[in-house]
Amino acid sequence: MGELKRIVPLRELTSVGFVVAIFLLVGMVNPNFLSAQNIMLCLNGSVVFIMLSVGIAFVIISGEIDVSVGATLGLAATVSATMIRDDMPWSLAVAAAVLVGLMVGLLNGVGVVAFKVPSIIMTLGTNGIVRGLCYVYSSGKWVENLPFGYKSLSQATLTGRPGSISWFFFATAVVTLLVYIYQTHTNRGRHFYAVGDNEGGATLIGIPVGRTRIIAFVLCGVFASLAGLMYVSRIGFVTPVAGMGYEMKAIAACVLGGVSLSGGIGSVIGAAMGAIIMASIGRILVFMQFSSNYDNTITGILLITIVVADALLQRRAAERARRTLLTAKTAITPEEGLP
Amino acid sequence: MKGWAKYLVRWEVFLLLLLLAEILVFGHLNPRFLRPRVLLGSINDFTSICVVSLFVTFVLVTGGMDIQAGAIVGLASIGMGLLWKDCGLDIWTAAAIAIVAGGLCGMLSGFFVAYTGVQPMVVTLGGSFLYSGIAIAVTHLSSTESYKGISGFPRAFTAFSKYRFWGIIPSQMFIFIALLVVSYIILHRTRYGRAVFLCGVNPAAAEFCGINTRRVIMSTYVLSGASAAVAGIILTSYLGTAKADFGKELTLPIITAVVLGGTSNLGGRGGVIGTALAALVIGVMRFGLSMNGVTTQYHDIPVGVLLIVAVGCRTFMDNPSLARLVRRGWLAKT
Repeated sequence: MGELKRIVPLRELTSVGFVVAIFLLVGMVNPNFLSAQNIMLCLNGSVVFIMLSVGIAFVIISGEIDVSVGATLGLAATVSATMIRDDMPWSLAVAAAVLVGLMVGLLNGVGVVAFKVPSIIMTLGTNGIVRGLCYVYSSGKWVENLPFGYKSLSQATLTGRPGSISWFFFATAVVTLLVYIYQTHTNRGRHFYAVGDNEGGATLIGIPVGRTRIIAFVLCGVFASLAGLMYVSRIGFVTPVAGMGYEMKAIAACVLGGVSLSGGIGSVIGAAMGAIIMASIGRILVFMQFSSNYDNTITGILLITIVVADALLQRRAAERARRTLLTAKTAITPEEGLP
Repeated sequence: MKGWAKYLVRWEVFLLLLLLAEILVFGHLNPRFLRPRVLLGSINDFTSICVVSLFVTFVLVTGGMDIQAGAIVGLASIGMGLLWKDCGLDIWTAAAIAIVAGGLCGMLSGFFVAYTGVQPMVVTLGGSFLYSGIAIAVTHLSSTESYKGISGFPRAFTAFSKYRFWGIIPSQMFIFIALLVVSYIILHRTRYGRAVFLCGVNPAAAEFCGINTRRVIMSTYVLSGASAAVAGIILTSYLGTAKADFGKELTLPIITAVVLGGTSNLGGRGGVIGTALAALVIGVMRFGLSMNGVTTQYHDIPVGVLLIVAVGCRTFMDNPSLARLVRRGWLAKT
């Protein structure tokens, strides 16, 4: 336990516990929800959101925001799906998708760092531009008739039987863990936290703040394009509006998972847990016999409740810390004595 | 010399020039664009952006962020339609209730922003989910199918937004100008407006001046929520149907208009005149592009480029060391 606690601090355990609690709660209402098959469906269905949230977590942890991931996903999906449909090698399609993510991320990063455009405005702008490029590239048509081979990738499971963990989920989980270790146990990775937590302090101790932020945006773009590749395989066709609104859901997932938008707090594991919740809300509602029309309503209530509760708890903790400090000070003074 | 030069070198003047340039370019490409009836009537396509962005400016001036206004537009529209059709209320009463409800929606988010210290972006993100979700849920309470929307409103209601004074000037232009004047007076000519600015510049100082910063911040969200409801009513009247997803794609243009208008998202700087001009710049650009055969899906590209370039240039020029460099070059030349 001690070892586990050292690697995975409390905040991550809370977010994992939160997912488990929600699943158990729904399971109490409807035991069918806890069947292995259904849980697998929930997990396998969340790969796209996990990828997006992990990418966006880089940016949020380093103290910025990226609302262009939905469009990046769309463009990467459109480009790669077109290439796959035209019988180009898959590796080329993957490379093209990653290149798209890289370029968009680089554009965002340079705009925010070099031209000092506030990140929300920069990425709102690129969101519009990239979404427009989706229409330009696909001339507004759907990309359909993808080869069966590529579509079946998302169905492939570890055991080979349907209804167990898919390779996509496995890969996503491994990537999330690797990113987590990178961010918390390597020097480079911890720069993201340093930059997001205290920009001035990070500059003073010699961390390349600008470069770290650009890397965060580039990684965010690349993860969005990987999510796009998974999206193509899972959905099987790409419309010009693919991924529209996903950026807001990914940000919500990060917030649900305890990643603070003020930067420097939270982790990708939390973000991934948030993504699982976000992706499962529709299914949860169905199992609780609600109409899935309430999807957004529940998401909104959940988001506001959690964030407000978190803020209030933090404020109380800060207040308690201040009081401890105060009593400690007053306790010391008589001992020291006056000169 | 110095007196009028101060007024010339202003962002608003640049926006005005940009607007004129747009009109000239599009007019040159398609002479039909310059007919007064067409040019003035173009505002009917983007009044909602203009109206909402005027009051979202207030929120950004306090250092906040509002991405929920679009959701409230849809909620107000469908809510009003439902009250009229299924509850049998008078259409104007329904509209008034919608405005109050919009204000209350804004107040809820504003309360969380002001009193719990959660980042405004997160709260309004939650709000946008919540209100668009309620709008969809409300749709399913109605007796009409959701995809059709509620229609068949009384003539008096659908006519007010289509009326043209003297056969030329659309009534929506008057609504926009009236709201512009109202918001200008509130933000730039009253005590309350000064308090809004001070909350953005320095909340602690504002608190020491005896301003109830929390209430002021909350009130800005109420204003933006109510204005979003007004936009929803105008849209409903103009299009003749009430639908839940009216405001879905308004978030980008609204924020673009406010920021392009010179309001900083860090708070304390900006104004409604700039916002109004920027909203017109964006609206006229979209209208001109579609008149020249560019379909709507592509409009976000130029709008996005405009946003990034304009804000990039602004922040670049605001950079003190860079400004010094430019001035030095200027002096060396002269």
